[in-house]
Amino acid sequence: MDFSLFLQNMVNGFSLGSMYALIAIGYTMVYGVLRLINFAHGDIMMVGAYVCFFGMVSLNLPFIAAVVFAVTICAALGIITDTIAYKPLRKAPRISLLITAIGISFLLENLFNVIFGSEPKAFIVPEYLQKVLTFGDVTVAMSAVLVPIITLILLAITLFILYRTKYGMAIRALAFDIHTVNLMGIDANLIIAIVFALGSMLAAIGGVFWSLNYPSIEPMMGVLIGLKAFAAAVLGGIGSVGGAVLGGFIIGFTEVVVVSLSPEFSGFKDAFAFIFLILILIFKPTGILGYNFEKSRF
Amino acid sequence: MKKITTLALSLAAISSFGFAKEITIAAVMPVTGPVAAYGQTAYEGVTLANKMRPTLKNGDTIKVVLLDTRGEKVETSNATTRAISQNKAVGIIGELITANTMQVMAIADKSKIPVIAPAATSDKLLDNVKFGSRVCFMDSFQGKAAAEFTAKELGYKTAVIVVDQAQVYSLGLAKTFESEFVKNGGKVLSKLKISSGDKDFKAIVSQIKSKNPDFVYVPTYHPEASLLARQAKQINLNKPMVGSDGVANPTFIELGGDAVNGFIFSDSFDASNPPTELSKKFLDEYEKEKGTRDIAGFTALGADAYFVMVEAMDKCADPSDSVCINDQIHKTKEFSGVSGVISIDEKGNAIRSVVMKEIVGGKPTFKANVNP
Repeated sequence: MDFSLFLQNMVNGFSLGSMYALIAIGYTMVYGVLRLINFAHGDIMMVGAYVCFFGMVSLNLPFIAAVVFAVTICAALGIITDTIAYKPLRKAPRISLLITAIGISFLLENLFNVIFGSEPKAFIVPEYLQKVLTFGDVTVAMSAVLVPIITLILLAITLFILYRTKYGMAIRALAFDIHTVNLMGIDANLIIAIVFALGSMLAAIGGVFWSLNYPSIEPMMGVLIGLKAFAAAVLGGIGSVGGAVLGGFIIGFTEVVVVSLSPEFSGFKDAFAFIFLILILIFKPTGILGYNFEKSRF
Repeated sequence: MKKITTLALSLAAISSFGFAKEITIAAVMPVTGPVAAYGQTAYEGVTLANKMRPTLKNGDTIKVVLLDTRGEKVETSNATTRAISQNKAVGIIGELITANTMQVMAIADKSKIPVIAPAATSDKLLDNVKFGSRVCFMDSFQGKAAAEFTAKELGYKTAVIVVDQAQVYSLGLAKTFESEFVKNGGKVLSKLKISSGDKDFKAIVSQIKSKNPDFVYVPTYHPEASLLARQAKQINLNKPMVGSDGVANPTFIELGGDAVNGFIFSDSFDASNPPTELSKKFLDEYEKEKGTRDIAGFTALGADAYFVMVEAMDKCADPSDSVCINDQIHKTKEFSGVSGVISIDEKGNAIRSVVMKEIVGGKPTFKANVNP
């Protein structure tokens, strides 16, 4: 592998990984507070992509406005799913929550199937994001450059909220012990709603980025991406925001590296990403940056 | 007097109703799902053909029922079973993609119901089935046509193949293309594998760029091919791409945008020069209905599947005798269909020509005809 191909792959891996990272943050935060693997999260990403598309095509919004529209709708959707699907089950066994999450996932997929049809649709990429930048032998589209930059900015904002604000402190307290938090006069339901809104907003942005880079959207697009982002969250240590981002990058790079190192295995890049996940979990069951939640609770 | 007339008329109506039966042909096709574009375009052809020729010689009317497979294997077998047991179909047209068509044929074979595949091109499709046949060419011929065209007409020497390892169709095409291309003096630099549903091809296109081939052969379906073309453009990989009839539909161009200009592919039919009388008539009818003469290859093939089936039914004493229909389909010789002249051999394979096209300015344009 020559140097320019290596650099090209780094760029590709970085931009792919940051999209997984954006979605993984949502998984990890919801898991942190509710111990719930929110399987509907990948589909919220799909909703984000579709709402942005709808905003541009049917409401004639400019791109940035459509993104804001998508982010708002997804934040609301996150809060609504929590209120109708998870809130009534706060005291139920966790397996019931998991099943509801899968139910919501199917509901969203089929709803969008009915509304928009199952055919892939071409996402509209604004001219200025289609521009191709060239650095020597490495070429990269504007959209692919923006993704990692904005991901890192969003990560910084998320970490700021978590570690420097009152709500962030409440979220961390909730993750530590949900029962005591209620006794301390914190409205746990409000905090959980904030977590869902935050996670869903990031997922919406992830969905828009995904569609900018791979401009064909379909109602099932959230399934595999969601699964990989979940794997990224577990790999990095579920419950840890930094870990989710790290995991996202690792999965993204693994996929790219497999293709460039051994083209004959290029068809198995997904399998390699998951094999890597298994290997890490064998040696560090809590993930790279994770810590054992159950131990800290009891 | 008036009463008697009414009575006579209604009697006549009843008796004629008793004689002319309604016979059902099922269209088992993906009209939703990721490959819905195939089913929708093919079904358009079947319904228009049905409109042009709704009755048999003996006066029986033919009813076409559509059963959606969503492009999934499980749904496909459900739809096939429903077509046979509930709709009592005497013949089936469908599915569109190879893997699902195999499913349809496996089930229909047990009930001795003839199946005509409009577009399933895999060489292995008709192994082990007696009641299957097709109106499209085979991959061995399609791949050969693409290899000969690129090596001889375009003078390309080196190729990289991108193959969808989850599709029998793609694997088969890649295999014949490779051996034929090498036979014609070409060299395959690398074979890269993808899976249906993949979205990220940046690593793949970077790899292609580093190999620097004369062109890229992409025998995949349109969701993957369109994204591959787009991402190739993003990294300035300006190599010509050659595909197969998996991209021969308008959705491919819609998804690919400007990036698919220059994409060359093999197809079965070219609307700009109708090969037979029937194609001319069909084009006129189509224009009357849709206001355009741009017909996708699959629409023509869907219509041909219907016409071949009806032709076979006409030759049978009892047009609902499935075994006889199947025999007659397999005896089809030089039938002037919509997409061209079709002969079907003992096994059910069609012998017919391939058309090479190139997308220019967002429109597929005719490049060459390759005859068997």
